[in-house]
Amino acid sequence: MPQALTSTKRYVAIWGWLAGLMLLGVVLCELALGLPKWLVVATVLILSSVKALLVALYYMHLKGDRRLLLFVAIAPLFIIALALAVLFSSRFVRL
Amino acid sequence: MTAHAISAGHAESSTVTGIPNGKLGMWLFLASEVMFFTGLIGAYIVLRFSNLQWPGSEGHLVVWIGTANTLILICSSTTIVLALAALERRDLPAIRMWLLLTIALGSLFLGVKGYEYAQKFSHHIVPSTNVFWSCYFTLTGFHALHVLGGIVFNLFVLRQTFRGAGWGGQQHRLELAGLYWHFVDIVWIFLFPLLYLF
Repeated sequence: MPQALTSTKRYVAIWGWLAGLMLLGVVLCELALGLPKWLVVATVLILSSVKALLVALYYMHLKGDRRLLLFVAIAPLFIIALALAVLFSSRFVRL
Repeated sequence: MTAHAISAGHAESSTVTGIPNGKLGMWLFLASEVMFFTGLIGAYIVLRFSNLQWPGSEGHLVVWIGTANTLILICSSTTIVLALAALERRDLPAIRMWLLLTIALGSLFLGVKGYEYAQKFSHHIVPSTNVFWSCYFTLTGFHALHVLGGIVFNLFVLRQTFRGAGWGGQQHRLELAGLYWHFVDIVWIFLFPLLYLF
């Protein structure tokens, strides 16, 4: 099978996952299902992260691309983690 | 360099990194954009934690409109990556069609956002109404400006496809436009639940 055709099928499959995960998050939040709020928020944020990862790996082609680009993409996440660590540390900031 | 990038119109790069300068530049730009939006979202989260009434009694967002708009943006991400797949097949009419569809979906997203803004303004809900609405208009406003920028970029690439032989040397711009557009999609993937669902 030509590579372009398999890529097209993969892109459409990823679209299905993106739309499905998004709708799952909406259903979880709207129906609540008796789950604690923190669990719903955590689950939906994890779903969002999975969607972002799918877009970055397959639509932005980070999967299989040069490793340097992966470092460039990940670098801000380390800085964000550092900023969040400071932000949520009561020693520095009181929320 | 991946087989994908090569077939997408890049000549094997002679740069030190082996990555075309434009592509590396775009990724560095996107990394800075991640920091920009993280600052805004971080501020939103801090304010969210320190306010019990959220969004307040003045009004709320309509979840189904936000859901529909998210679906529109997800579809537009798929259409632009299909334009890239069409580039691999050297299928110029398909490239134009998918690019045009991406532009149309991006414009539809902005149209829906404009409708939401108009609805809020008609109910006298403005950025100064309370902290939530300040955050909402700031976050979605900056995101909408990025969507607008993406539409202009896509229009520019679409125009390049009509340059005949000149298009051959400009094909890498489609990949750059796609990278930018996907980033805009990723930002919305996080903004949607934060603003509409929690």
